[in-house]
Amino acid sequence: MYFQVGLADAETIFALSSGHGRCGVAVVRASGPASSTALRCMTRLTRNLPPPRKALLRSITDPQSKEVLDRGLVFWFPAPHSFTGEDSVEFHIHGGPAVITAVLHALGSVPGMRPAEAGEFTRRAFQAGKLGLTEVEGLGDLIHAETEAQRRQALRQMSGDLGRLYQDWSHKLKRCLAHVEAFIDFSEDELIEDGVLNQVDTWVCDLQAEIERHLQDERRGERLRTGVQVVIAGAANAGKSSLLNTLCQRPAAIVSPIAGTTRDIVETALDIGGFPVLLSDTAGLRESPDLVEREGVRRARERVDQADLTLVVVDCAHLPSDAEQAATFLEGHLRSVLSPQEQSLLVLNKTDLLPEEQRLELDWELRRVSGLPPVCHISCHTNEGLQDFLAVLHRSVKTLCGDPLSCAPTLTQARHRAHLQQCFAALAQYQRYRDIDLALAAEGVRLALTSLGRITGHVGAEEILDIIFKDFCIGK
Amino acid sequence: MSDLIFLSLVSRHSSHLVRQQYDVIVVGGGHAGTEAAAAAARVGAETLLVSQKIETIGALSCNPSLGGVGKGQLVKEVDALDGLCGRAGDWAGIHFSILNRRKGPAVWGPRAQLDRQRYREFIQSELLSTPRLTVLEGSVEELFVSEPNPEEPGHHRVTGIRLANGSHPISASSVVLTTGTFLSGSLFMGQSKSPGGRIGDAPSSAGLSHTLRERLGLRTGRLRTGTPPRIVKDSVDLSLANVHPPDSHPTPFSFLNTHTHCKPEEQLPCYLTYTTPGVERVVRESLHLNCHIQEDAKGPRYCPSIESRVLRFPGRRHQVWLEPEGVTSDILYPQGLSMTMPPDVQLRLIREIPAMHRAEIHTPGYGVQYDFVCPTQLSPALQVKSTQGLFLAGQINGTTGYEEAAAQGLWAGVNAARCALSRPTVALSRTESYIGVLIDDLVSRGVTEPYRMFTSRAEFRTSLRPDNADLRLTLKGFEEVGCVSIVRYQEAVRVRDSLQDALATLQALALSTQNWRKKLPDMRMSEVKNSLLTGMDVLRYNDVSFEMLASAFPECLSHHMEFSQRLKIEAVYRPHCNLQKKEIERIQKEENMSLPQDINYLTLPVSLSHEVREILDRVRPTTLGAATRLQGMTPAAIIHLFNYVRRICFTYGKIPLSIVKKHYKIK
Repeated sequence: MYFQVGLADAETIFALSSGHGRCGVAVVRASGPASSTALRCMTRLTRNLPPPRKALLRSITDPQSKEVLDRGLVFWFPAPHSFTGEDSVEFHIHGGPAVITAVLHALGSVPGMRPAEAGEFTRRAFQAGKLGLTEVEGLGDLIHAETEAQRRQALRQMSGDLGRLYQDWSHKLKRCLAHVEAFIDFSEDELIEDGVLNQVDTWVCDLQAEIERHLQDERRGERLRTGVQVVIAGAANAGKSSLLNTLCQRPAAIVSPIAGTTRDIVETALDIGGFPVLLSDTAGLRESPDLVEREGVRRARERVDQADLTLVVVDCAHLPSDAEQAATFLEGHLRSVLSPQEQSLLVLNKTDLLPEEQRLELDWELRRVSGLPPVCHISCHTNEGLQDFLAVLHRSVKTLCGDPLSCAPTLTQARHRAHLQQCFAALAQYQRYRDIDLALAAEGVRLALTSLGRITGHVGAEEILDIIFKDFCIGK
Repeated sequence: MSDLIFLSLVSRHSSHLVRQQYDVIVVGGGHAGTEAAAAAARVGAETLLVSQKIETIGALSCNPSLGGVGKGQLVKEVDALDGLCGRAGDWAGIHFSILNRRKGPAVWGPRAQLDRQRYREFIQSELLSTPRLTVLEGSVEELFVSEPNPEEPGHHRVTGIRLANGSHPISASSVVLTTGTFLSGSLFMGQSKSPGGRIGDAPSSAGLSHTLRERLGLRTGRLRTGTPPRIVKDSVDLSLANVHPPDSHPTPFSFLNTHTHCKPEEQLPCYLTYTTPGVERVVRESLHLNCHIQEDAKGPRYCPSIESRVLRFPGRRHQVWLEPEGVTSDILYPQGLSMTMPPDVQLRLIREIPAMHRAEIHTPGYGVQYDFVCPTQLSPALQVKSTQGLFLAGQINGTTGYEEAAAQGLWAGVNAARCALSRPTVALSRTESYIGVLIDDLVSRGVTEPYRMFTSRAEFRTSLRPDNADLRLTLKGFEEVGCVSIVRYQEAVRVRDSLQDALATLQALALSTQNWRKKLPDMRMSEVKNSLLTGMDVLRYNDVSFEMLASAFPECLSHHMEFSQRLKIEAVYRPHCNLQKKEIERIQKEENMSLPQDINYLTLPVSLSHEVREILDRVRPTTLGAATRLQGMTPAAIIHLFNYVRRICFTYGKIPLSIVKKHYKIK
């Protein structure tokens, strides 16, 4: 059972406290002794903390990369005057999933911080005596409901391929631990040879490789939950906002023939063939004397860098009329917009303005250039080519998410990722101490199993002993 | 030992010398009973130890050895709490070795072969010289039970005992039962079965087990164990076995001893040999003559008879250790050959092993089946929850092994005494000791087979090391428990202060990598950069010993040489122990939240599922921590329980806090 009744946990927890799903403003909350550290290094407040319980507008930055993630309100609630009774911090940030994910990720990189378990804030508040008697009465049921929901959700996940994968790892780890423990507790009196440990070495090595591969699944499972980041980018007035409006079938962005109409990022959530997509429209990329527009361009570039998929929109009418020159131009244009290796689609807009013959010639020429992304002709004006474009987009998004029905299980929760990373690190401890101190090496396997156990369920000492007695011929 | 003769003389026929009233009566003179009696007397209780036979007090009924992996940790802890078995082992040991020497100090297993006679003599002379302790030979016929004290939880109260042969009753505030395998014990050899707990001793009275079951309503179960035949040493061809020498420098168990009684060069070797296919054949051919094997009482998986080893793992060879029984003994103990077949078949079996092809049996092996009391009916103080003043320790609680028995005996004795002296009972946490792990496993999970200690049972193994048992327990044992003498306490304080001083010196010794290389040219230092390394950091290196540091910095470190090994261990383990601290603190907080023992879980006006109520009612956990570890508990139930305990505090707020605390043990 992995519920903890710690009275004043030394660990600092954080979570998105506003509801899931899209919203204008999201609240990320942290509680525990490291809250003030987190606040300091996320807002670059080196000297003083903000006055207690007063809103302060700050840029929120990633403490590792120093990158600005968002600009929002921060609140500092020193203990005991907070919801949980502990030092707490709140970040009120923009509600886009990308921003939220980035802020949560940044918080996770602060030492002493970990993602909260379901209901943990309420539990701490309860333990600090912050809830009234009637609220307390309801709390057990609330936590029950929460854990029930968690359990059902976990069950759903656990019955799938992912569950089988984690159970399989847990099984292998239990065996590793049982063999190490058997070697510690019995080898002096029994016929347990050193070969037992060589077997464990192989298992640990294999497991590490598997977990590493799994962790490098390019976030596909998380994308499935939080949405694929698709960014529309391109030169000014190429029709980027029109594309956004066409895709979401409503005027989300203001469109005008005036170049530079979109100055900040416009986001909208879409469902593309069953996959969640977070579509952002950005300012046209051009040199501008306008300070505001320059900031817009900077943000656009930043967003392109973070995108899972970039739709590079080009105005056909502005292409050189010679097909060969046009192809060379497009190649250079893509290089200027995208960073290397980035996934993208090339969208040739305003195709209705291009003669049929010239279009075919261009297609033929583009096919000869290697390394170009898929090319789509569309007209946001006439909706020509839109169906084909959607089909291509669907295929790309599906690849990015990973097909949940196919066999390669992917990570679906950031929490799982954190536990798996701990598990991975603990296995390294086994290898480090294998020949120096077997008790400390075993401690590594124990920690690995505990971390994995937080996903698959607890493993007790008796279970390990059962494996020992099953696998070895143990006498006194 | 002239003291010993005196002991037998005064106590055997001396009922007129015995008082009618004691604080604590301990029944049984095995490892649990002797530790219990000595501990109770150390705590300050007038104590009576009753044993069927004075001569068998402190006897090693089975194997002539003490300690091992996991068990050695228990011996160190019993010693740290001023118990007997560590010092007795140092006195009686004839072959010392530290098992797992290559596997890391946290799992080192101090172990010794013992001279049976010396061990018994030491224990008996210790008991005789213990103030406030009286030893009496006799068999307990009856346990007196009366109405409970209404101010304390419980349905009954124990008030004393009556001995067989019709003598007068002896009353006591606390009674500790350590009856071992004697509770409804039966002995098995071949097809014969006779009542008893050990060969050569009278069976215990049926009255006792009747009282426990019928009068007190305690749930019992049945377990089995066995012992091998003893072999005549001269009849064994030891040239056909592998010699296993002891450690050349024997390490004493006790923190008070710097050397063992036996001189290093006077130690005796052990011998290792193996079973053959012929052994398996004899077992199979004689199964129909072996009624112990056919019975379905649960035996230990890790101390199985040769019969069950062969049946479970056929076609393999199994180890057989030939162990000396004493300096002058002409007997060998064949560890691994516990058996219950008829004596003539036993002889056939052992002669299938080459080294014993002409061996003679001194005493045949036999099996024992006995009752144990399901230990979930006990509190962490080892007191029967339903019965005031009754404590149980040792095999009666479903454990196996001398060390497990000694550990429980000590703790039951401590609490029996504290109870009798109207002091609150005390518990040891599984986060601070193997004794705590043992007791918590017993009282919160129960047993399905004889329970033996393994290091794998301890979650905080890297913190609960044999080397630091004194720091973990001796200080607490003196300051909070009252079972440690001032002499031992002062020694532990000296050790603690010296270690702290040395560690601080090492921490303050900060040099650049370059300078370290100059000071310790032999050391392979992989770290580059210009960062400063402390003496602690450097001592963590695999190829650096404290001796090396001390010779490099003699002025500040050489006077700590006494603790060179402990300092090395401390340096290596400290970072790992610090990581465990958080989890340890969390568990300790939960364990500090007591649940009232008189809660009626079935009717408690709190939202709990029927299933959870039944679990709680059956196990009656004493703390919230124990409740969270129960199988089948839900997070919601824990929250409701937590809330309930807090509300009691609230409701009883008008009553002085001390009374609330006394009744509900809320901290």
